[in-house]
Amino acid sequence: MDRRRIVPFALGAVLLAACSNKKPPTTTEEKIEPLKELSAKKVSVDLATPDPGAAYWQDVPAGAATLAAQPMITPRPSISFTEKLIIQAIHDGTRVAFRLRWKDTEKSEAGHLGEYSDAAALQFPVKDGPPPLVMMGQKDGPVHIFHWRAQYQRDEEKGKPDMKDLYPNASVDMYPLEFKEAKALNANASETEKFSPGVAEGNPQSYVKKGVDEIIAEGFSTSSVQKGHGSAAKGEWKDGTWTLVVSRPLAIEGGSTLRPGAKGNVAFAVWQGGKGEVGSRKCVTMFWTPVSIL
Amino acid sequence: MSKVKNWHLQREIEYPYDESRPKKQWAIVFDLNKCIACQTCTLACKTTWTSGKGQEYMFWNNVETKPWGGYPLAWDLRILEKLGRQAWSEKGEYQGKTIIEAAPETERVLHWAPTDDDWMYPNVGEDDCGGGTQDGGGHIPNTPHDKWFFYLPRTCAHCTYPACLAACPRKAIYKREEDGIVLIDQSRCKGYGECVRACPYKKSMYNPYTRTSEKCIGCYPAVEQGVQPQCVVNCIGKIRVMGFINPPWKAREDNPVDYLVHKKQIALPYYPQLGLEPNIYYIPPVHADRAYLRQMFGPLVDGAIQRYKELPRDPVAHGLLCLIGSTDRIMHRFDVKRGIAAGFDEKGEEIVRVPVTEPVVERAAFDPKYNAIRNNTP
Ligand code: SF4
Ligand code: SF4
Repeated sequence: MDRRRIVPFALGAVLLAACSNKKPPTTTEEKIEPLKELSAKKVSVDLATPDPGAAYWQDVPAGAATLAAQPMITPRPSISFTEKLIIQAIHDGTRVAFRLRWKDTEKSEAGHLGEYSDAAALQFPVKDGPPPLVMMGQKDGPVHIFHWRAQYQRDEEKGKPDMKDLYPNASVDMYPLEFKEAKALNANASETEKFSPGVAEGNPQSYVKKGVDEIIAEGFSTSSVQKGHGSAAKGEWKDGTWTLVVSRPLAIEGGSTLRPGAKGNVAFAVWQGGKGEVGSRKCVTMFWTPVSIL
Repeated sequence: MSKVKNWHLQREIEYPYDESRPKKQWAIVFDLNKCIACQTCTLACKTTWTSGKGQEYMFWNNVETKPWGGYPLAWDLRILEKLGRQAWSEKGEYQGKTIIEAAPETERVLHWAPTDDDWMYPNVGEDDCGGGTQDGGGHIPNTPHDKWFFYLPRTCAHCTYPACLAACPRKAIYKREEDGIVLIDQSRCKGYGECVRACPYKKSMYNPYTRTSEKCIGCYPAVEQGVQPQCVVNCIGKIRVMGFINPPWKAREDNPVDYLVHKKQIALPYYPQLGLEPNIYYIPPVHADRAYLRQMFGPLVDGAIQRYKELPRDPVAHGLLCLIGSTDRIMHRFDVKRGIAAGFDEKGEEIVRVPVTEPVVERAAFDPKYNAIRNNTP
């Protein structure tokens, strides 16, 4: 290793030792050790409701994963907008929760054309044994992805935005094909919106989202959203930093499973919507990170 | 990257997928000399397909005034500017780069990304003249004059090599084998907007309500029943005909679209240099500035205009022009015999028959029986 890189690490370790360990770690602390392996210790709190600001995170060791612009397929970002992701993990016997922190100068929740949402994803191999390709898996090597978007969270908190929310000054006389519920008494949601193609087709994208999307993929371009298994997420953006907790059941039939006492694998991706990142325009970890459920 | 044949450019081009031409290829021919910008096509499309939420500013069919108009704003200039100056040979072989060949390393397609502001003025520049202006603009001191403009009606071109399809990392866009219509799968689209960025004609549009991208569907439910799209059958100027085009090596003289594009070579694809083999074809406006037309239609435009001017002396061509706009069915074949033009459907059954020259009936100006003056209002 070259000398210039050893120095900051050594300095970091000294500073870390000098710090009081009462304060919760933040991204401004550059001294967090590079992440080699994650250990999720058992805690006696209920992780079903993720809480990024909870005090119990203060004592959980953190590691810093290195991210880089997704290099495999186009379109891709020309620079790595997110280079560092600080990660912690705990479990409560039935669920495992990951707390991720990264810097993002603006909060983006999508809405208009060309506005994309901040987002993050965790990825686990579905099958036991050697993990498949870290970039979205491969044929016969499926991966299970938990995809959180700031946009989904906004939907959950405030409802799916209507045109009036997106364009408050727009004036529209009427939508001729829209059923008015008052007139079509028995109309249900899918009938009132049957002329909105995405809605009528049942595209998850066109509905109010709760928490995270669960996705199965076998390589690039193959991802498809599955029925969820009770995973949950909560993100908080403050002072240029996102803090996000994603919690998922340890065992998911038909999906990925993490076993207490055993080692699994996890990989990460981050999208900065404000920088135009969406889809394959993202920053990712280039390797699987081993994760032990202690 | 695969090497695929692009006959518009008379050479092979690069494309991310192999050449796979559909069994039939949807195509529309427009006679730009006849369009009056009544926007009936635009409204026919809008009331049929895009009157819902999130589609307020969405016009799958639009009509803009050239040279100043553009929906979205200056869409053509902006991609041409990105592509930079490129060369054609005199005979129509393209020597420059397509938008896929010119893509930066990190992208699939060279593009510019439109914003909401760009889509806000669907008919900007309406009726604004090109050419020199005097006295603040409108004054035309003598004729013939150098002022010109023309109307350009546009739909998705259901390209043979769609940029929208090439750009979608989710493979949510597909080209139908049976008719070449390009569709966005509304159940798979995740609203990344890659197609909105990539389509150089800007015919893929974002719906912020469904959070998916949408585009012209070629009126496939009508096409499946042998009926032409709404924008074609409602055209007031009868400037359009929809049919199926063959590549030149399979062209059939009795196919109306092949006849206009291949046999007569009077209809040309627009901005073919972008490299997508777009399947909407235009008979260029005879009076517009030639340099501008060469930029839009390539070097074959002069010949096309020349041949168009000779059409009235050609009874077959004359007959075909009479058939255009005379039926809402899709003509797969036509013939002109003894002053009668007839069109036939896919099964070979006659669907329309018109006289090439309407019989002239002369009536006295006064009707003595009803004691009424006849007038000529049809
Ligand atoms: S015109 Fe644009 S949207 Fe239509 S097929 Fe071609 S690239 Fe796709
Ligand atoms: S309906 Fe026909 S004449 Fe009218 S604007 Fe459309 S293409 Fe032109």
